[in-house]
Amino acid sequence: MMHSDALIARAREGDKNAQGKLVQLWYKRIYNFSYKFFFDHDMAMEVSQKTFISMHKNIAHLNDLSRFRSWMYTIAVNYCREELRKNKNKRALSLSDLQPGLEREESYRWEESGARHENPERQLRQSELSDILQKCLMELSEEQREVVIMKEYEGLKFREIAEALNISENTVKSRMYYGLDGLKKILERNSITKETIGYEL
Amino acid sequence: MSYRPDENILISWLYGELDEVEKAKVEKYFQENPDKLKEMQQLGGVKDTMSKIQDKEVIAPPIFMDGDIKVIPIWKTGYFRVVTTIAASFLLIIVFARLLSMNVSYSNSELRISFGERKKAGQQLTAMEVQKMIDDSSKKNQTELDAAIKQTLASNTQQINDLVRQASNASKADIRSFVTSLREQNATQMRDYLQLSATDQRKYTDNLVMEFSKYLQEQRNQDLNMFSTRFSKLEQNTDELTTQTEQILASIISSSPQIQQSSY
Repeated sequence: MMHSDALIARAREGDKNAQGKLVQLWYKRIYNFSYKFFFDHDMAMEVSQKTFISMHKNIAHLNDLSRFRSWMYTIAVNYCREELRKNKNKRALSLSDLQPGLEREESYRWEESGARHENPERQLRQSELSDILQKCLMELSEEQREVVIMKEYEGLKFREIAEALNISENTVKSRMYYGLDGLKKILERNSITKETIGYEL
Repeated sequence: MSYRPDENILISWLYGELDEVEKAKVEKYFQENPDKLKEMQQLGGVKDTMSKIQDKEVIAPPIFMDGDIKVIPIWKTGYFRVVTTIAASFLLIIVFARLLSMNVSYSNSELRISFGERKKAGQQLTAMEVQKMIDDSSKKNQTELDAAIKQTLASNTQQINDLVRQASNASKADIRSFVTSLREQNATQMRDYLQLSATDQRKYTDNLVMEFSKYLQEQRNQDLNMFSTRFSKLEQNTDELTTQTEQILASIISSSPQIQQSSY
């Protein structure tokens, strides 16, 4: 469990330590949600910052503590949509796209992660596969992508996704179904199968 | 009628979020429709494949949040200031109204705002009385106006008649007196002119005689000076001649014994 109701309650009452703890607990999840949504480090950082600033400002108005998780994703997905709108017609090169910068950017993460203990070659192949699959995920529509990410990577229940997106549960399931079906076709088109992945890894 | 689950139920089955009863129905459906089961297994395979996307490692940056609750005194809040301003304005109006003895009353769809002591309302006039007063005033004005017009007309007529009468009576006597006065005026002017002219001529003659006498006197003085100079010169010449003669005689006298001795 990432957090407890007591921690959220303290944060809601203005406890800065509790809010800081929530940021520490939730930052990786919100960042990865945004990263998978954009496949862009800078935009993911931007959305994460805005999400936690918004959390700080508005957590006092959160009545139902059990809805904290869906509430956080509501904020995040709203900022994701906002960023997407702003950058729709703007073609910019992310700093993380630059190879030397990427190396430097990734280095501390690698140091921090437990992956450094693994085989570096395997780790590199895993990273490449991850990027290929991420590109497949980016081919989904915005609506399907956010549902797939929430369900598949963030582990939200359909009910929580429906709450976060303010849509019906059936709509969530429908988007999920067609999202997976779309991914199946995208993977087939790119000749990505269980066997090739197994070979790669 | 055969059971056919929709995609919502199928996706719930895939994620294990169906209750037991629904799950049994779906599995029975799969037994009857193995193609659908295969399709769902493929979707499960997609799930497995996509789960290979790894999370990125990231460290939460320090986020500085302004957590201090700012306690703003109530007298510094905007609402308090607005309310206080309105109250002060009302108070000011009330004080001024009190000082000016302002009265505000509303009755019979009439709003009255008055300053100072309120005068008692007199007897109310009726519409008929007001109309009568207006009519009387109009009549009075009309009468006065007519009288004034008549008077002005009579006065003007009188003045015109006087003028005409004066013009008709001013025939011979006036002309005669006018000619007489004109003649007298001319005579006076001529006399004055001649008088003035004689005076000027006398002054001129006097001046001329005086100038001539001055000239003669000057001439005589010059002649006298000239005679005096001539006489002086003549006297001087005479003296010189005398002196020369004496010198000659003296020289003759002085040379005569020598001549006698030589004759001896």
